[in-house]
Amino acid sequence: MPTLTEERATKIKEIVCEILELEEDEVSETSLFREDHDADSLRAIEILASLEKEFKVVIDQSELARMVNLKGVYEVVAESAGW
Amino acid sequence: MTAPARDGSAGAAHRVVLTGFGVFSSIGVGAAEFAEGLRSGRSGAKPITAFDTEGFAHANGCEIVDFEPEKWIRNLDVAELGRASQFSAAAARMAVEDANLDVDVLREQRGLISIGTTDGESFDLDQLVESQIAHGPEKMDSTIARRVRAGRLSAAVAHELGLTDVEAVTIPTACAAGNYAIGYGFDAVRTGEVDFALCGGADAMCRKTFAGFYRLGTIAPELCQPFDVDRKGILTGEGAGVLVLESLESALARGARIYAEVLGYGLNCDAYHQVAPNQSSVARCMALALENAGVKPGEVDLVSAHGTGTKANDITEARAIREVYGAAPPRTISIKSMLGHTMGAASALAAIACSLAIVHRFIPPTINHTATDPECEVDCVPNEAVEADLRIVQNNGLAFGGNNAVVILGKYEEHR
Repeated sequence: MPTLTEERATKIKEIVCEILELEEDEVSETSLFREDHDADSLRAIEILASLEKEFKVVIDQSELARMVNLKGVYEVVAESAGW
Repeated sequence: MTAPARDGSAGAAHRVVLTGFGVFSSIGVGAAEFAEGLRSGRSGAKPITAFDTEGFAHANGCEIVDFEPEKWIRNLDVAELGRASQFSAAAARMAVEDANLDVDVLREQRGLISIGTTDGESFDLDQLVESQIAHGPEKMDSTIARRVRAGRLSAAVAHELGLTDVEAVTIPTACAAGNYAIGYGFDAVRTGEVDFALCGGADAMCRKTFAGFYRLGTIAPELCQPFDVDRKGILTGEGAGVLVLESLESALARGARIYAEVLGYGLNCDAYHQVAPNQSSVARCMALALENAGVKPGEVDLVSAHGTGTKANDITEARAIREVYGAAPPRTISIKSMLGHTMGAASALAAIACSLAIVHRFIPPTINHTATDPECEVDCVPNEAVEADLRIVQNNGLAFGGNNAVVILGKYEEHR
């Protein structure tokens, strides 16, 4: 199971909230970007691109299917980065 | 020759014909070479050289590597024009010459210039931004800055040809813009508002568009394979297509060669999504075009699809075609398999391709095809052109934002 430091998790949440234009307390680990926060597929790609830049990783676009909430994003980034 | 009614009054509806083509594409320059490229299934795909592609895992495109604007642009300083404006002005000059029109005569007539585009001079914007970031805004090149307005794509045509009694308009409806431009010209000539129209589209390769499509995951690594089960996306391309539209009376009076007749067009905008096409809206646009042309679906012999080669477009478009045409639609091809996605020029070049197909009695193939996607149930004429007597052809143009435009072309027949 990949591990995630609190610092990295905070940074990921910050990126997601900025792109989805949300306050950090509006988002939980399991609230869904599309259903609960009105995100669309372009926002999802923006999130993916920003994470790639921030953490210098390459995330396959097929992983978008898992990046539906913060929990999914944490896992995908951690796996892609080999944390 | 009957003088066209200028007031668009009843009884003034002219038949509108295509009498000249200007073509710049990665598979051929000029109508004859383009027709040969289409018939032989030529591919324009090769590594991009227009901009630095470092950092992209793959970077093929359909560039025009031997463009010599000075051969066509005689009155304007080429350095004062961006690459897209060079394409449009050069293609307009070529179209006028191909139509055997005397520019001095055109200058005495009323005309329309409508040029569609996706990116305008974004290649120049790329350079300006790069220079701003590296050296600060004061170092931006003023010549390049002067070139960037998209309005110059059509204004350059008027300037180059010395046409003063014209409306010159650049239509920015992205990947369907060429068809929009033709539709606008069709109305203007049909109603007698103008004596001639130079219509089409132009775009130049740029890093912005490549990077944008790349990030969306829609750039194919090597080849564009519309309707193929294994298709991986588009290849960006560039070029221009300009068509001369005039009334049938005008063409007959001067003994012009007639490539084809414009029968009608349809356009709509659904604003359903920034990038996702909407099936029912695309179908509705085709129905609008057929109705405008007075054509029944069963009379159409060929559909030139928007056919980008992305997963989403090809499924949606194929389903929309079946929604209009039923279980046995006409053969449906994509010339983007050969010349890539030339953006604002795409549907103009495709309209020219349709006309050349009518004249030379063949259907251009959809190349790079291995197996048709079972979800795209169309006969895309894989890999090899076929001989065919085409009477009516439909040309689709579909753009981001749900901007759709469809043009219906017919073989010229004296009685219709």
